[in-house]
Amino acid sequence: MENNLLSLIIFAPLAGAVINWLIGGRLKNEMFSGLVACGAVAISCIVAFAIAFGIGTANPGALFAPEGKPILDHLWTWIQVGSFRADFGLGMDRLSGIYACFVTFVGLLIHIFATGYMHGDKGFYRFFAYLNLFMFAMLTLVLADNFLLMFVGWEGVGLCSYLLIGFYLKKDEARTAAKKAFVMNRIGDWGVLIGVFLIFTLTGSISFFDKTVDGTPVASALNLIAAMPTETFGWGTLVAGGITSAAILLFIGATGKSAQIPLFTWLPDAMAGPTPVSALIHAATMVTAGVYMVVRCNGIYQNAPTAMFIVAVIGCATALFAATIGLAQNDIKKVLAYSTVSQLGYMFLSCGVGAFIAAIFHVMTHAFFKALLFLGSGSVIHGMHHEQDMRKMGNLRKYMPITYVTMGLAWLAICGIPIWAGFFSKDEILYRTFAATGMPANANYILWAIGLLTAVLTAVYMTRLMVMTFYGTERFHEAIEGEHAGHADAAVHDDEEEAPIHMSTEVLTADDDDEEEEHHHLPHDFKPHESPWSMTVPLIVLAILSTLGGLVGIPYAVSSLVGAGDINVFERTLEPIIVKVGVKPEHALAEKAASVAHGESATATESKAVEHAVEHNPEEISTERGLAIFSVLLALSGIAIGWFMFGKTPLRKMPKILEQKWRIDELYNGYIVDPITNLSRKVLWKGIDVGFVDGIVNGIGNFVIELGGFARQIQVGFVRSYAAIILVGAVIVVGYFIFYGLKLI
Amino acid sequence: MDYIFENLLTVLILLPVAGAALTLAYHMVTKQEEQIKWVTLGFTLLNFLVSLVLFSKSAVVGASGFSFEQNVPWIRSINTNYHIGVDGLSFWLVILTTFIMPIAVLSSWNAVEKRKTAFYVFLLLLESAMIGVFVSLDLLVFYLFFEASLVPMFFLIGIWGGDNRIYAAVKFFVFTMFGSLLMLAAIIALYYIYADQTGLGGTFDLTVILTALKNGSLSFSKISQAGTLLFWAFAIAFMIKVPVFPLHTWLPDAHTEAPTAGSVILAAVLLKMGTYGLMRFNFTLFPDQSREFAMVFIILAIIGIIYGALVAMVQPDVKRLVAYSSVAHMGFVILGMFSFTELGMQGALYQMLNHGVTTGALFLLVGFIYERRHTRAITEFGGIANVMPIYATIFIITTMASIGLPFLNGFVGEFLIMVGMFQSQVLAVTATVNWNYVSAMLAGTGVIFAAVYMLWMAQRVFFGKVTNAKNKRLVDLSWREIGLMLPLLALMVYMGVFPKPFLKRSDEVIKSIQARIMQQAGGTIEKTELKPQSPAEGEK
Repeated sequence: MENNLLSLIIFAPLAGAVINWLIGGRLKNEMFSGLVACGAVAISCIVAFAIAFGIGTANPGALFAPEGKPILDHLWTWIQVGSFRADFGLGMDRLSGIYACFVTFVGLLIHIFATGYMHGDKGFYRFFAYLNLFMFAMLTLVLADNFLLMFVGWEGVGLCSYLLIGFYLKKDEARTAAKKAFVMNRIGDWGVLIGVFLIFTLTGSISFFDKTVDGTPVASALNLIAAMPTETFGWGTLVAGGITSAAILLFIGATGKSAQIPLFTWLPDAMAGPTPVSALIHAATMVTAGVYMVVRCNGIYQNAPTAMFIVAVIGCATALFAATIGLAQNDIKKVLAYSTVSQLGYMFLSCGVGAFIAAIFHVMTHAFFKALLFLGSGSVIHGMHHEQDMRKMGNLRKYMPITYVTMGLAWLAICGIPIWAGFFSKDEILYRTFAATGMPANANYILWAIGLLTAVLTAVYMTRLMVMTFYGTERFHEAIEGEHAGHADAAVHDDEEEAPIHMSTEVLTADDDDEEEEHHHLPHDFKPHESPWSMTVPLIVLAILSTLGGLVGIPYAVSSLVGAGDINVFERTLEPIIVKVGVKPEHALAEKAASVAHGESATATESKAVEHAVEHNPEEISTERGLAIFSVLLALSGIAIGWFMFGKTPLRKMPKILEQKWRIDELYNGYIVDPITNLSRKVLWKGIDVGFVDGIVNGIGNFVIELGGFARQIQVGFVRSYAAIILVGAVIVVGYFIFYGLKLI
Repeated sequence: MDYIFENLLTVLILLPVAGAALTLAYHMVTKQEEQIKWVTLGFTLLNFLVSLVLFSKSAVVGASGFSFEQNVPWIRSINTNYHIGVDGLSFWLVILTTFIMPIAVLSSWNAVEKRKTAFYVFLLLLESAMIGVFVSLDLLVFYLFFEASLVPMFFLIGIWGGDNRIYAAVKFFVFTMFGSLLMLAAIIALYYIYADQTGLGGTFDLTVILTALKNGSLSFSKISQAGTLLFWAFAIAFMIKVPVFPLHTWLPDAHTEAPTAGSVILAAVLLKMGTYGLMRFNFTLFPDQSREFAMVFIILAIIGIIYGALVAMVQPDVKRLVAYSSVAHMGFVILGMFSFTELGMQGALYQMLNHGVTTGALFLLVGFIYERRHTRAITEFGGIANVMPIYATIFIITTMASIGLPFLNGFVGEFLIMVGMFQSQVLAVTATVNWNYVSAMLAGTGVIFAAVYMLWMAQRVFFGKVTNAKNKRLVDLSWREIGLMLPLLALMVYMGVFPKPFLKRSDEVIKSIQARIMQQAGGTIEKTELKPQSPAEGEK
């Protein structure tokens, strides 16, 4: 199916960006810039929904197309050399349809919010130009029909993230954070690039879908790999140059973009950017690109059980690790940043145990409630005149009721309290982890236990955040002891001239002020205020979605309780994008050879049947229900712990090591950045280049000069000495000829 | 009109010479120098327009034959001909040369204060020599142009350069001269070997020699080591020009000391003579040796990529930083060429153009700030974006092109090169390691480092507050400066989004060269010889 409107989804924001850059920069009119930016995203949003749901066309929408066939839009052939081809072509199937819808919708809300939040900023037009450019890149990433175009979007969102984190040009930590984000993403991009090379080498194609361009059929690389035999579980496959290697290489990219161990440290620093950016890019959309890619390539991952296991372990470890750091942060955005890292960890855990749909479900619900939390924090920061330190807040529910209520709903959602969106997605992930197979014995239970522990921690730190911000006493004017300790600590590593990516550790200064940099104090008669409608309306809409958005994916185990049948719309919709659901990884382990044939022969319908049968097994349903109740109880206890720990003493001292984020930045600085810099400066440049190579060259030069000096000494000007030299030369020449002449005879 | 059409390449070569002569005459008569830049600009622009006529012949699009060919006897006694022509390999390089020259002239508009006549005369002569290099098909004529390009550049650096200009100019001259003398020896040897084996008398004509090689009447394998020695004689001359690690140390000095126009031309065109020479002569004359020694070049290229990037990272001088980044970028070109895959070689050819545009632009930008502040030390700047927003914007876009952001030109070239290397069959494939994969992966790290050094530089120069009082009153770019950046910016975007018309031109030539090198792989002898060495060497 072709639908040329598809390109409108990506090009509308691009046009918005260009208009804002060229015209908005001259007009400097907030109304104009805001309208252009929001209008552009609104167009994308409407078109995305229309195509996804098939509104206004005779065909079913992308979400309902039979067998998950994509709607394609080929624009031009970008690169074509030999057998390699990369098209500028878009495709919307069920996965990218869902992504496009929530990205444009959440994006639109955040754009509207930002018109209020950025009000009065000198760079208003620039901000919206970047934000629209980001939407272009993100939608290109999602709608691309091949790996290379996806990579364009992938790098594009990285660029926009760089520009937006560093939006406040004069803030050094913002620029440093921006550069750090870009470089860490680049490290991940390396993995994606090599992964794409490998996939191209394995299949001869980089297309996601089977399609025909100008009469030439192009095969889907994903289908080709899915049809290959599953690789066995073992560490050797990681470097074998096969499917597992490709999967791991792509995952390296995902750890960069989605801030997983070991490349996660850029995301918290990225909070130096304006808050709407944190909400849009660093919570709802861009950081989930890694999850999108893994799910898009589920055919590759399902054939690579080793890679799946690594994805699950990394995801799970990141979830726990980030949650522990989140416990001890005082900057409201930092807490949310670590929370995001932690939730992203859940998504990868979900992918790793084969629950790809649950991962996407969590991406969506997380986009709702985390965007809401960030926007809420933005509203708080706005109302507090750009104070981000929670230690200086307190009792804000009195001044900002709408913000308080909406954030409260998001808080319930992220903690996993039933009927709120987060409950369904997180519970699904935990259950699927518990029931996972195909990994080393009992590993699934360990992962599950860590996941549960993280859920408790999540409830604790989110409760802490709510308590410190909205409850307790008003601490607007209190000085905080040890506030500058962090700065002093950072100053030690503030050796800009020494290392290219020095990583500052503490960003506690004000978020906004482009003009006045210093840490300002609030005026004496300061009272926080509720935000304008442009900011509260998006909050309310997101609050509704955070509360009810999870209902599209109610698992059978829950819906059957109230007598409803299978109403898990979300899972039924996405099922066609998951290839080979019928083949469980344990088959691949146990009966390698047999499962190969099985995997290939399993048709979509067969596997669907298997899936349903598994899901409706009464024993498993009761397990699932039991686990759900258990995790809800744990979440409630987490909230209780948070309440009792911080309710009375919101400024309770947290362990130093957590406050310092396990000193990971220092580790990277000390063991990677500094040694490479020193090597480059002292050994490569001063040593080899200037010392060795040039030393040789200059040495030869000097030698020639010396030789000249020596030759000058010979030229003493006496005829007889010349004659002597000529004689010696003649003797040598004659001798040479005689010698060789004799030899010839 | 017909006359121009038939002698187009000669016109392209002679037009700048005519311009130089006119300039000199003008100066002698009027004794004033003010109008000379206008004359020069006029001639370079005219030459650019004339070069666009090259597009008219569709023959250039495909077949491996030459277009606009001219072949007239020059020195009969040694049978050397003025044989010139253009094909897919040289087509874009000629256009790039004529395109970059007006920009170079404009960049010197106010920068050159002393001895203007001589400066512009040298620029014009340089243009002639460069075009000559790319179009000559006779080895001796090629050599003459190759050497001739050296002289104007030597003076450009030596007279109008920075403080350390004499050292830089001499270093540049000695390095290059050393290589080209080796090449001259090889050219003469080739002449005699041809005469010996065919009995037809010697020749310098590349096409004649190639025909003899193809029909077997000439073969280097008949003389032991001849092929290898000749290959290296040519290769070293070109490797110095590229420059390939460890022969690169003339480059940072030459770039840093040269006036802006000199740096731009050096980066955009002169370096390409090296890679072009390797493709035109080494690959066609010595396909077996090219394949056999590919490993050496690949290793050096990878070292160059990583080394250049790391050293660029710690440079205190902006221009030196860009110079070292050139070493890394040219490493990519070498890597792609020696992957001997269609993808890699096309990518290499494309990357030559990209590097010309992007690095040329970077040197221009550095020149702008140097004219204003007379320093290039990174520590002297900071917060420039606040006082020169247009400049900062253009600089950042160019930076992004340089570090290979998709939809800007650098990405297409680097991607093709790396994917070509990944798929290459030049290096050994053992049971445990595919060294072609490893090479591509190592080269890929260069992309990471590129982001590090460029962004770090950008951060220190452009962002933050204006700390140095001298920077507070800097004036943003003038219309002339914006005007000469715009075509470059447009090219960066266009070449990134629509690379097809560029790649199309060289399609057939690359295919035939690649096929000749890889299909002649006479069994697995070379491969098995390479195997034991590659693990040890590859780990560097």
